[in-house]
Amino acid sequence: MRGFSAFVFRAVRAQYTSIPPREVFVPQFVDAGYGSLMLLTILTFFAGLNLAVQSFGPFSRIGAQDMLGMFAGIGGVRELFPVMAAVVGGARIGANVAASLANMKISEQIEALEVMGVDPIRYLVVPRIWAVTLALPLLCGYCNVIGLASAYGGAVYQLGNDPGTFVHQVMEQVSAFDLAAGMIKGAFMGWGVGLISCFHGYSIQKRDGAEGVGIATNLAIVNGAVFCIVTNLLMSWIMYG
Amino acid sequence: MIAGVQRFLSYLGAVLIALVTRPRYGIETLRLMQVIAMRCIIPVSLAVAPVGAVISLQGVQIFQLFGAERLLSSFLGMAIFREYSPALASVMVAAQAGSSIAARIGTMRVRGQIDALAVMSVDPIRYVVVPGVLACVVITPLLSVLTNILGLFSGWVFAVPLGGIDHGAFMEHLTEQVTAMDLWVGLMKCAIFGTGVGLIAGFLGLAVERGAAQVGKAANDTVVSTIVLILFTDYVFSVILLEAGL
Repeated sequence: MRGFSAFVFRAVRAQYTSIPPREVFVPQFVDAGYGSLMLLTILTFFAGLNLAVQSFGPFSRIGAQDMLGMFAGIGGVRELFPVMAAVVGGARIGANVAASLANMKISEQIEALEVMGVDPIRYLVVPRIWAVTLALPLLCGYCNVIGLASAYGGAVYQLGNDPGTFVHQVMEQVSAFDLAAGMIKGAFMGWGVGLISCFHGYSIQKRDGAEGVGIATNLAIVNGAVFCIVTNLLMSWIMYG
Repeated sequence: MIAGVQRFLSYLGAVLIALVTRPRYGIETLRLMQVIAMRCIIPVSLAVAPVGAVISLQGVQIFQLFGAERLLSSFLGMAIFREYSPALASVMVAAQAGSSIAARIGTMRVRGQIDALAVMSVDPIRYVVVPGVLACVVITPLLSVLTNILGLFSGWVFAVPLGGIDHGAFMEHLTEQVTAMDLWVGLMKCAIFGTGVGLIAGFLGLAVERGAAQVGKAANDTVVSTIVLILFTDYVFSVILLEAGL
């Protein structure tokens, strides 16, 4: 824990006092953003369909099957799609970041950078943190669009709901604030995931070997996911409570 | 692609044969169950407990629009028992247990320990993969029971003390709408998702050939592909259950 706070202090100070080197930042950003698109498209497509299908049963028990649009609007856009983008996208990106840093650590590339007088925090960690911080909000916004579209598809084409009612309810419930809230959440979660995964990757020592890479990846995924879900609750509480 | 499918099918066959024939490694299975349960219990609880709270937080406002705050608890119960507790508990088991099983098997490959087992005529699938699969199948539903309770409790906290819903009405509608069927559906889903976690982790772990980078990649791929599988299966389940009217 003390190691983590010391790392956060160093990394955050470096993050806001220097401009990340472009040749590291751009590939990381492309990998974090573009590289997650395919995965998140498939994932949110099924999540949106599932949101419509699974809520149809309970809603028709109380005779409110026309409320699917409202449910997809509030449950999906405010909570489910951004959180899923952050948890799954964060797991993928965070695991990549942690594994690559841990691998550099055990193959002594980080010491080599230090010998050359390059600060590894500024050169390797900061661009990665920025890449995740900037990519996750975009992914959250993208997931909102895909998720709503697939919830519409599920409700209208699979369950036979009225398309006009669905769209009307979504328009009524989802405001620009909700969409912005999803992206703000994404930025915070991305920042946390970046810090956590860089910390776990960076704290592996050479003697840990291949096992250490596995441990760093595992810790980055788990702690990142828990961080995203808990942060989501706190931010929803602040914004909607 | 086709070669990969072929490899996966032959791996699946080997696991099935190892499940029904001797020798079995019961002690190793029990040990893995204990390890996985101890490792997963905290992350899974931390990840699923906030979900009940979020449902109550958003649900109180929606149900108040219709003056139907009483129905919040029945909605919360159904959502937690049937959908969110099984799905999220399995996602977190995939993140924690799946990635660590894949990383462990991958590390054993890198160090040549898998080959050493084979040389000692211990089948690595029997000794390393099958116990992991069995442990995931058993532990995931057990964790989901715990997360059901935690989810309901956190939902109660955000509905009754913080949301201003009457405690009596909350409890009454909770037990009125939630049936034993909801619980069984959730547990069955967990067992199936757990099987997927164990199988994929074993397959991707064994596919590691050399190098530390591949170990990290195996752990990462396990999580990603298992989560896709979980969401897809969950959707198929929802459709089937809706058609069956359960």
